[in-house]
Amino acid sequence: MPRLLSTALSLRRDPRLLKIPPYVSALCIAIGVVWLLLLPLDNYSRRTYVSENALLPGQVHTYFGGSEQHIFRAFRHEVDLLASKNNYEVNDKLETILTGFGVKVGRQNYTYHSAGETYSGENVYGILQAPRGDATEAIVLVAAWKSIDEQLNRNGVALVLTLARYFKRWSLWSKDIILLLPPDSKTGTQAWVDAYHDAHDSEYIAPLPLKSGALQGALAIDYPHEERYHELHIIYDGTNGQLPNLDLINSIVNIAGGQMGIETTVQQMTGHTDSYHDRLQTMLRGMLYQGLGYPTGPHSSFIPYHVDAVTLQPTGQGWHDEMAMGRVVEGSFRSLNNLLEHLHQSFFFYLLMQKNRFVSIGTYLPSAMLLAANFTIMAIFLWVKSGQPIETGASDESKERKLLSPLALVATCHAISAIPLFVFNHLDIKTLPLAFGIFSTLSTALPAVFSLAVASLHKPTLQYFQLTKSFSLLILGVSLATLSTLNFSLAFLVGLLASPLTFLQPTNTQATRWVFVALLILTSPPAVISTAAYASGLTMSDVLKAASFGWNVWGMYTPVVIWCVWWPAWLIGATNTLIPAFQM
Amino acid sequence: MSTTVTLQSKVGVFAGAALLRLVLFAAFPSLPDLLTGRVEISTPVTSFKRLQEGLFLYNHNVSPYDGGVFHQAPLLLPLFSLLPDVKTWPIFTALLYILVDLLSAYALLVIADSGEAGQSKHFTSPRRAKRSSGLLVAAAFLFNPYTIASCIGRSTSAFTNCAILFAIAKALSGSPFNSMVAISFASYLSMYPILLLPPLVLLAYDRQSDKRRIDSAVQFSLRAILIAATCISLLLAMSFALTGNSWDFLARTYGIQLTLSDLTPTVGLWWYFFIEIFDSFRAFFLAVFWLHLVIYVGGLSIRLRTQPLAVLTILLGIFAVFKPYPSISDTSLFLAMLALYRHLYPIMRYTYVASATMLYATFLGPAFYHLWIYAGSGNANFFYAITLVWSLGQSLFVSDLTFAVLRDEWEVERPDMVGKEIRQI
Repeated sequence: MPRLLSTALSLRRDPRLLKIPPYVSALCIAIGVVWLLLLPLDNYSRRTYVSENALLPGQVHTYFGGSEQHIFRAFRHEVDLLASKNNYEVNDKLETILTGFGVKVGRQNYTYHSAGETYSGENVYGILQAPRGDATEAIVLVAAWKSIDEQLNRNGVALVLTLARYFKRWSLWSKDIILLLPPDSKTGTQAWVDAYHDAHDSEYIAPLPLKSGALQGALAIDYPHEERYHELHIIYDGTNGQLPNLDLINSIVNIAGGQMGIETTVQQMTGHTDSYHDRLQTMLRGMLYQGLGYPTGPHSSFIPYHVDAVTLQPTGQGWHDEMAMGRVVEGSFRSLNNLLEHLHQSFFFYLLMQKNRFVSIGTYLPSAMLLAANFTIMAIFLWVKSGQPIETGASDESKERKLLSPLALVATCHAISAIPLFVFNHLDIKTLPLAFGIFSTLSTALPAVFSLAVASLHKPTLQYFQLTKSFSLLILGVSLATLSTLNFSLAFLVGLLASPLTFLQPTNTQATRWVFVALLILTSPPAVISTAAYASGLTMSDVLKAASFGWNVWGMYTPVVIWCVWWPAWLIGATNTLIPAFQM
Repeated sequence: MSTTVTLQSKVGVFAGAALLRLVLFAAFPSLPDLLTGRVEISTPVTSFKRLQEGLFLYNHNVSPYDGGVFHQAPLLLPLFSLLPDVKTWPIFTALLYILVDLLSAYALLVIADSGEAGQSKHFTSPRRAKRSSGLLVAAAFLFNPYTIASCIGRSTSAFTNCAILFAIAKALSGSPFNSMVAISFASYLSMYPILLLPPLVLLAYDRQSDKRRIDSAVQFSLRAILIAATCISLLLAMSFALTGNSWDFLARTYGIQLTLSDLTPTVGLWWYFFIEIFDSFRAFFLAVFWLHLVIYVGGLSIRLRTQPLAVLTILLGIFAVFKPYPSISDTSLFLAMLALYRHLYPIMRYTYVASATMLYATFLGPAFYHLWIYAGSGNANFFYAITLVWSLGQSLFVSDLTFAVLRDEWEVERPDMVGKEIRQI
C-alpha cells in the first residue's frame, strides 16, 4: 500500500500527466454530443406513464355532444358576426354571453411597450364558481381571440363559450373554472397571469377585478382550423424553456387517444413513425424551442407561475369534429378536477421524443454537464500550467502568478457585455437592424483592439494568456452548469457553440492563426444569430424584434445568456488568439 | 511623496467603495429589498426585514419579541429608531451601513499594516517579505461581491463583523481595554464572537504597549476577562431595562441560536439536519453541534500559540461554516482575513479548487433555491446539496490555510525541508 501511494504521488509529478487534460476536454465534448444522440434509442428513453393516481384520465364518461352541437354552431355564428369588430366591442358581446349563463365576468386593460411599439388590449374572463368547492383552487380554460398564427380563433372561442354553458350545468366541479378570452395569443395571457399573481407593473397593466383561488392547471384551445381534423397537436413549451408537469401531457394523450381515438402529436411532427430519425427530430425541435426560451402559445405565460398548462391545436385532415375536441377538454377538466394537490408526482424536466416516449433529467443532464465540465477541466489545467516553471527542473518552488491584469481583462469583457444587452432590448424597431450591423462590426474589431491594447500595456507572457483563458473558461463553465439545471437545451446549445474556445490558443504560425480567426468569426454570437435567422427564413429585424419582445413582455432571459455569458467568453477567446507572438 | 500617494489611494479606495454602494442603493431602489429577502444574506438572526418587524413593535410599545420573528439584540432597536423611517428615507439606513463597511475596512487596514500576519512576537515567518499592503486587503474586503451584497441587503451582521475587526485592530495596536469592549459588543450582538476571546486575549497580551505592561499572563487574562464580563453585563442590563424589565430577550435572541428553533434555510449546515432529525435526538445533536463549534477554540489557541492572529482567522473561517445561522457576510469576513496571509499563498495547495467550488456554489445556490421555492420543480434537497458544496469550498480554504501556517512554522524548524514535498503518513 505505501508503495502504491508513493507511485501515485510520483505520477503526480510526471510531465506526461499534464498533456492529458486537453484530450479529456475533447472527450467530454464528444461524449456529450454522442450521449444526446443515443437518447432516442429504446434503451435510454422510457415510455410515459401517469404517476398521479388522482388524475384517472379517461375513466369518466363524457357527455358533451348531441344537442350541444347546435349551440356550438350558434356561438360560432356570433363569433363570425364579431369578426370585424374591435377588441372592446368583442368583449362587450362576450361579456353579455357569459353573464347570460350566470358567470361572473371581469375585464382587464393592459399595455406593453417593446422596441418602440405598443401592444395594448383588453382581456375578458369569467369565473364559473364551483358548486362543490370553496374558491381556493381554480383551473383555467383559455381561447385567445387571435390564434398563434394570428388568425381568428373561430372554433376555439365558440367551443369555450359552449363548454362554459355546458360546464355550468354540472354540479360535480370542485374547483372554480376560469374562462379566459384574451385578444391575442401573445400578450393577453401574460398580462392576466401577472395580474392574477399581483406581479404586474400597475402602471401599464390593470389589476383584476375578480379572482378565484390558486390556479391548478390551464388548457388553451387554438382552433382556427376549419375542416375536420386528424390529430391534436399538444404545445407544451413555456417561457424560458420551463415545462408543464409531464402528467398533464400524459393525461391528455391518454384521454384523446384512449377514449376518443384522436391521434396526438408534439412539436409539429405529423406522421411520426416512431423511428430513430423521427424521435431525434422531435427531441431536437423540442430542444430548440426550449433553448430559445420563446413562448410558443397562450399557455406559456402560465408555466413560470408553476401553473401547468398546454395548448391544444387540432391539425391535419381527418374525421374528428368540434364535439370530439370538446369532449377531450371535458375529460381533461374532469381529470384536473380530481386532483387533490398540485401536479407534482411526475417530471418537470424531460425531453419528449414521441407523444408517449421521453427521457428524464437524470438521463439527459450529463450531456450538458459534460459540455460545461470540459470548460472547467481546461480552466483547472491552465491554472496548474500557469504556475509551473517553464524549464523543467529549474526550481521546485512553483512560479508566482500575476493575477491582476488577467482578472482586469476578464472583468472588463464581462462589464461591457451589459452594453449589447441594454441596447438590443431598449432600441426601437427602426434602429435595431442598424444597431445590430454596427455591433457585429464592432464585435469583430474589438478583439483586435483589445489584443493590441494588451500587447502595448505590458509584454504578454504565456502565463498571462493561460490565466485569462483559465478565468474566462471557469466563468463560462460555471454559468453553463448552472444554466443546465434551469434550461438544459440553452446550456447545451451555447456550450456546443462555445466549445472551440477551449482549444483556441495563440500561435506563432501565421497560417494557423488565420484558421483560428476564421473559426472564431464563424462561431461568434452575431454570426451565429445571423446564420440562424437566415436559415429559418426570418429577417434580422424580425428576430431582433421578437427577442426584444420576449425580454420586455415575457421576461425571457435568453439575451442575458447570449450577451453576458457567451459573448464575453468569445471576446476573451478571440483577444487571446490575436495577441501577437509572446516570448515563451 | 509616497505618503501623499498612499493617502490619495486610500481615500480613492474608500470613496470608490462608498460611491459604488451609494450608486447601487440609489440606482436600483428595489435591489435592497430583493437582497434582504435572500436566504444567503439574511438569516433569522441578522435579517433586516425581521429587524423592521421588531422596530415596528418596539415603536408601538409592544415587546419586540412578541411577534416571534425578531431574534436580534435589543440595543439595535433604539439605534434604528433614531434613523428616519426606512420606507420614506432609505438613504439614511444606507449611509449607516456604508459607514459600517468603511469602518471595518479601516480596521482591516490597521490589522494589515501592523504586519502581525507575517511577524508576531514569538514567530517570524521567513516569507513575510511578500506581504500584501493594507490598502489591498481593505480593497479586497470592500470590493468583495459578498461584502457588497450583504451591505446592500442590510444584514445586521455588518455590525458584528465591524466589532470583531475593531477588537482585533485594537488588540494589535496595544489597547487591550478597547479590544475587550469591542469583542463584548460583537458577542452581545451575535453571541458566537465570545469564542474568539481566548486567542484575542493572547493577541492583546503579545502586543501590549510598553507603558502599561502586565507581565503575568494569568493576571492579564483575568483582567481582560473581567473587562469583557463587565462590559457584556452592562449591555445586558441596558437591554433588560429597554425591554420592559424582563429577561425574555435572552431566550429570544441567544436562546434561538442555542436551540435553533427557527429552521429558516441558510447557507449553513444546521437547518436541514435539524428539520430531518427526530425530536428525541434533537437535544443531543444540538449539544454535539455546539460542542463541535467550541472545541476548535482551545486546540487552535494552544497549537498556534505563537500566531494568535492566525488562530482568529481560522476560527472565523470555521464559524462561517459551522455556526447555526451563517450567511455570506461571515464568509466575507473570513475572506478578508485570509487576504492578510498573502505570503502563505504559494504554499497553499487548493486555492484554485476552493475558489472554483465557491464560485460554483455561488451560481448554483440561487438557481436551486429558485427551482425549489419558485419554479416548484426542485425540492429542499437541491438547495441543501449546494450549501454542502459551499461549506466544502470554505472548509477547503480553512484547512488549506491551517496547513500553510503549520508548514510555514515547520520550515523554520527544519530549514532543510524548504520546498520539499511532504507526505501524510
